[in-house]
Amino acid sequence: VTSGGASEPITKKAMRIKPSDNPGRRPESREQGRPFLMTVGLVVLAIVVLFAIDTFLAKTEKAEMRAEAARLFVEGQRFMTTGNHDQAIDRFESALAMTRDSQNYGLALAEAQFAAGRLTDAEMTVDDLLQRDSTDGPANLLLARIFVKEGKSSEATAYYHRAIYGHWQEGAAANQSKARFELIDLLARQNSPESKQELLAELLPLETEVPDDLATQKRIGHLFVVAGSPARAEDVFREILRREPQDADAYTGIGEAEFARGNYRTAKTEFLAALRLNPGSDETQRWLGLTNQVLDLDPMQRGVGVGDRNQRSLKLLELNVQLVTQCAVLNQSPELRSLIEDAQKALNQPARNSRQAPAVERNIDLAEKLWQARLTICKQNTSDPQDPLALVMNRLVQ
Amino acid sequence: MTADQSRTVRARLDRALENLRQRENQLSLVLSLVIGALVGLVVVAFILLTGRLAARMYPPGGAGWLRILVPTLGSLGTGYLLARYFPFARGSGIPQTKFALFINDGRITFRTVVGKFFCCSASLASGMALGREGPSVQVGAGLASVIARNLGLSKEQVKSLVPVGCAAALAAAFNTPIAAVLFSLEEIMGDLHATVLGSVVLSSATSWMVLHLVLGDNPLFHVAGYRLVHPSEFAFYAALGVVGGFGSVFFVKLLLKLREWFTRLPRWTVWFQPVAGGLTVGLLGFFVPEVMGVGYNYVERVLNGDVVLKVVVLLAVLKIVATAMCYASGNAGGIFGPSLFIGAMIGGSVGSVAHSLFPNYTAGPGAYALVGMGTAFAGIVRTPLTSVIMIFEVTRDYSIIVPLMISNLIAYFISQRFQKEPIYEALARQDGVHLPTSESRAQLGRIRVVQAMRPAPAVFSTNDEIEETLAKVRDEPFDAWPVADDRGLWRLIRNRDLEEAVSEGSGNRKLSEILVADSDERRPLAETLPHLHPDHNLSLALERMGTSGLNVLPVVSRADMRQLMGVVVLEDVLNAYGVRKAAGAAQTGELRES
Repeated sequence: VTSGGASEPITKKAMRIKPSDNPGRRPESREQGRPFLMTVGLVVLAIVVLFAIDTFLAKTEKAEMRAEAARLFVEGQRFMTTGNHDQAIDRFESALAMTRDSQNYGLALAEAQFAAGRLTDAEMTVDDLLQRDSTDGPANLLLARIFVKEGKSSEATAYYHRAIYGHWQEGAAANQSKARFELIDLLARQNSPESKQELLAELLPLETEVPDDLATQKRIGHLFVVAGSPARAEDVFREILRREPQDADAYTGIGEAEFARGNYRTAKTEFLAALRLNPGSDETQRWLGLTNQVLDLDPMQRGVGVGDRNQRSLKLLELNVQLVTQCAVLNQSPELRSLIEDAQKALNQPARNSRQAPAVERNIDLAEKLWQARLTICKQNTSDPQDPLALVMNRLVQ
Repeated sequence: MTADQSRTVRARLDRALENLRQRENQLSLVLSLVIGALVGLVVVAFILLTGRLAARMYPPGGAGWLRILVPTLGSLGTGYLLARYFPFARGSGIPQTKFALFINDGRITFRTVVGKFFCCSASLASGMALGREGPSVQVGAGLASVIARNLGLSKEQVKSLVPVGCAAALAAAFNTPIAAVLFSLEEIMGDLHATVLGSVVLSSATSWMVLHLVLGDNPLFHVAGYRLVHPSEFAFYAALGVVGGFGSVFFVKLLLKLREWFTRLPRWTVWFQPVAGGLTVGLLGFFVPEVMGVGYNYVERVLNGDVVLKVVVLLAVLKIVATAMCYASGNAGGIFGPSLFIGAMIGGSVGSVAHSLFPNYTAGPGAYALVGMGTAFAGIVRTPLTSVIMIFEVTRDYSIIVPLMISNLIAYFISQRFQKEPIYEALARQDGVHLPTSESRAQLGRIRVVQAMRPAPAVFSTNDEIEETLAKVRDEPFDAWPVADDRGLWRLIRNRDLEEAVSEGSGNRKLSEILVADSDERRPLAETLPHLHPDHNLSLALERMGTSGLNVLPVVSRADMRQLMGVVVLEDVLNAYGVRKAAGAAQTGELRES
């Protein structure tokens, strides 16, 4: 007997062969075997029996695994509530390893990783969840939050949208509103013209979606102001006042809306009304103070006398000279230097009543030029809605 | 239904089945499906049984002493059973399957199948650091063999069904249907072009479907998506190939040395030799529980980047020692699973070092652990193609395939260079069996017809007279002669036909007259003319000589059947194989062309 190409003999002790497996005992070229039908029957029977056994074993194992995974999940949740994120991650990972198809365990793991600051791990876990179901609302919301933490605003916005229009197993409306509010907060923080447009687009559907409670309506009203839609904000606050006439916050809200429109006197009236109802409101006090500062600075206010108007224009000029000199200490062009000199001259001129009106015009003109120069040379943000000078100057420049 | 009707139905069924048995091709396909389903179910049962028993025998977080006691008692019990009742169920099952296929006519007994199933389940469940895949292969091959022999199939059919069972088993055990096909061809058959390919694919797919039906669609490992971070990272994967290659060589050499030592012990110690493995793994498991069992759970954690350098290095070393000891001492279980474990730990170690040194140029350690699995598999089992496909199927991650190929090939070449004999051949040799290697089988099939071909000693014309032709060939040793017409080779004329024609008084007739009489002109020449092509395997020449009853066959061009390129003579075939006839017995006379 040879082993084929190796051409070496097989020893009789080969693999300690017993007669049944011994190659020396050559079976006939075709063994007799059992009757064909009986063999086929036995094989079919074996398949049926084995299938039943396997199914039973698999079901039992799956049930046991699910129970164990549920226990680990509860443990993990307990660790989450106590702030022990690493232990929670360990439990959730084990639970997930036992029941791979569970979105809940995967989401819990991702949330734990997010809470522990393991953003990359959390992102990978959520990616895995979204591969299985890209419409999963909670997973999309979590990924949006991860992107917010990572400073990726545009990605975050996209995933917030997916969360808003995604599938939520329970509390869909509330969760979708929650996701939308988070997106709105993100957009409100960005404070750019584009983000204001997006913000407004997100706020409009909220009016009908969200619950009709006063707190939510007030929040929406404030957000309309941030989004640059004071008229809508005022409508919202007026509706609140219709339902609750003594609501100080609604008066403050109307004041904010009027302030945003540039109606500072009306705004002041509303803030005062709010303070009458709630004198201790720091926020309203702050708004009132800001409004007063704007009113005191604006030379174009109606009802202001010529002398007062001149004083205000000089104040404006002085503030602008200070600001532009601070930011352009080393980088003063001849034009700018000439402007500053003109401003200094105007500031040093004695006030003469007969020539006050043209002087006011000149002062305002100089102040506007310095404001524009500051804009181009210093590249500073000149649109701060809480800065009285910026509010007045931007209005004058327009 | 009356007794007569019942008998009639049964007789018809018997006849239908008997007809099926006679049609080998159809039967082979049907059996591939049946074997695929049956083996798939058996392997699923094997996996579930092993897992459930293991969870009860040494539960995670259980008492430390239990981790020493369970493997020790388990190896003692299975050791006795293996020595007393199931001697062929020891070890991996791959060498035994190859032995059955190449030496024992595909014969694996049902007793061995049963023994392998239960002893291996008990052994793995008690915490042996061995794998379930090799044993599954033997169980699958055994079931295929048992079914085929009970159906009364021929030896060749039985042998052709053994790789079918192997593929079905591996497809279910690893959840890797393509790798299972490749493994059956690359390792078991040693021939990627084996004719059983269709049946192997069918059984693998059937078994995989059964697995999915029962256990659902779960890959063996859930792995995060990895990608190549920087082109220079190939260098780190190459380094992993080197480390994995030497790790594989160390593991194989240690296992073979230990096994050699165990085989030299007195025969009466065989039944309790496995205790040495059980005790070793128990003591190691007391301190490091991850060493016990297959350890796929821990592999998955490492694949997902949960790597602590000291721990993975320690686990790589301990697993090598534990597996080598468990296998060498004669426990039932394979080395596939441990290869993956060792590879993942080696990969995790290399990746951890690389990532800490060059964090911007390298992926996390998990990616290296993933590639490391394939690297160790290629180095230990020496099936590089299977290992690449297997890792791809196990993880379903395509992006890692190029680094995997680089690393695998380096490990494969290192393993070939420093451990000449592949592990399964070496294990069989320790048992006194010399399995044919894939190289030797390839060598056998490498002798071609062209190497034994000689110019045709004579070619007769269709117009030659019969008597004249007979006079020329009467003293020659060849049984037949080529006959050509104006378009080239046309027929072979046998000496016997010439003699018959002369004795019947037709000696003055032309050759074409007797050849036309007994030939069917409508059939193509390829069917009526026994022939060979120069690139045919020489074994085919022997086969066709046997079928046609001739000691000489014409060799014709593949491009033109009528172009005679020479002849092959039986004596030359035997010479090519080194079997020389007695001198002068086959001297051929010089014949002039007619």
